[in-house]
Amino acid sequence: MMAQTRRKERLDRGIRVRTDGLYALMSWRELSYLTLPRVVLIFGVLALPFVMPSMYWQRVISIVCIYSFLAISFDLLAHFVGLVSLGGAFFVGVGSYLAAILNTSLGLPVALTIPISTVLGATICTALLLPCLPLRGVYFAIVTLMYPLALARVIEALNILGGTDGIMGVASFPSRWVEQYFMIGALLLFLFAIRRLVNLDLGLVLRAVKDNDQAVRASGMNVTFYKAIAVFIASAMGCLAGASLVHIYMWAGISQFALDFSILPIAATVIGGAGTLTGPLLGCFILVPISELLRAFGTLRIVFYSLILVGFIVFRSEGIMVYAQRKYHQFERWVKV
Amino acid sequence: MLEARALMVFYENMLALNNVSIACGEDQIVGVFGANSAGKSTLMYTLSGIIEDIKKKEEMAGGERITVMGTLLYRGRDIMGLSPSRRAKAGIILCPERRRIFTESSVIENLRIGGYLASGSQARETLEYVFKIFPALARLKKRVGGFLSGGEQQMLAIGRSLMAQPRLLLLDEPLMGLSPLIQATLVRATREIRDERGISIIVTEQYARPVLPIVNHAFILENGSAVLEGTREDLMNNPDVRSAYFGV
Repeated sequence: MMAQTRRKERLDRGIRVRTDGLYALMSWRELSYLTLPRVVLIFGVLALPFVMPSMYWQRVISIVCIYSFLAISFDLLAHFVGLVSLGGAFFVGVGSYLAAILNTSLGLPVALTIPISTVLGATICTALLLPCLPLRGVYFAIVTLMYPLALARVIEALNILGGTDGIMGVASFPSRWVEQYFMIGALLLFLFAIRRLVNLDLGLVLRAVKDNDQAVRASGMNVTFYKAIAVFIASAMGCLAGASLVHIYMWAGISQFALDFSILPIAATVIGGAGTLTGPLLGCFILVPISELLRAFGTLRIVFYSLILVGFIVFRSEGIMVYAQRKYHQFERWVKV
Repeated sequence: MLEARALMVFYENMLALNNVSIACGEDQIVGVFGANSAGKSTLMYTLSGIIEDIKKKEEMAGGERITVMGTLLYRGRDIMGLSPSRRAKAGIILCPERRRIFTESSVIENLRIGGYLASGSQARETLEYVFKIFPALARLKKRVGGFLSGGEQQMLAIGRSLMAQPRLLLLDEPLMGLSPLIQATLVRATREIRDERGISIIVTEQYARPVLPIVNHAFILENGSAVLEGTREDLMNNPDVRSAYFGV
């Protein structure tokens, strides 16, 4: 009578059930089950500069880290606060110009320009974005998209901050190794900090804002305030990326307001798995090197790039990280109904 | 008209419908009663095919796996696995729970969207009929859907379903959250729709009392299983049912 008498069942692995909470400390096996993915990620990323064959590819690592910062900041805003941000370029631009000014005009060393421009830049970005935070909907995306375009034109038209030539003669990192390990270290720090943050009380409120901001307001919380905190954190990451970029290129220019910084992190988030925070990082580690490899194809590069993106969206729209997490935590078997 | 045999629906490993068999004859009103989480809405999704849509979306997003099994015969034809739009074209129209009207369109626009599948003359004729059974809507033609009261929204939702020219109308909790007076109006309208248009109706409710006078046959769902079925009189005389679903 029934055409189908079996179905595929998904079950949590026993070890996952056991490793919930403090019980993970019960045995090495359970402890390693829990820490293995993190350890692989951390040491994998830390080993990258040694594995890379040439200086060119070591430079690519730094660029990957910059995009990863932006991707994590996009993921935080879009999937934990519900603000779709197209402002990667805005954050990078503000951070990089600040760092360049601090370094060339005030003569501050790299060790100071990066933290100062991170905090100061985040403050400026948050203040500029504050007017559109009480609104729901598409406004935040539009405003974040418009700022970098506007700022680039302002710099060009008024010929301030170096005009179209940009600010040259910015100090570089002391060495390639410092540069790479600073980028990787900061990236891992921010990744795990943000992963922690979204599970704190603050993170719960942010996720509630995404779910239903009216209910949050009814619970007596100021939605705009919490959104501003999230925007501050996200733009701090963007400004950090921008400030580092300036010291890597030793030059700040209008191209740091380029839309690449807004669009590529979004693509990386889609590929890596939205709402996982680690996924966007993985997405950048895949997408940016691919785009470098595709340089061999010249102008056809963008065609292949788009095909890869479309393929991912059609066949793995959940994202790599979501898929991998499921395979790691659950197993499947056929059962009779 | 419609016969469902041994329906089983799993949301991942949770059994939402367990071996449910129901049937609805021509020109009948069939009631499906059950508490929250008994599986009423899942049953409606399965009959109308919305479940196929949910299943596909979950698959794309890597969410939970939905398994649907069993046989579904509609006018002698197996419709299991058919997409919801194909089922709607065949005449199975769902009037969804919580109404789901288009809140930014006016009443008349909502109705015209519902009549997209119908021919011009059918749509005109049905529109008149909707305004005849729900005179309240005729006065509110230009009002935006979101500004209607709950009862008016429910009338609009039923009207919109009628515009799609159903032969089998699935009403999912049409009386939810409405005052007794509006409930009585809706129940009367439901019977009129059956009598005057010859549309078979399957209606789900938590509280059976307002609907029971008009149903020919009823099923009781508990935890995903159909635990009891019978005619109106059978259920009325069952003491367990009386206390659980009629509040007597």
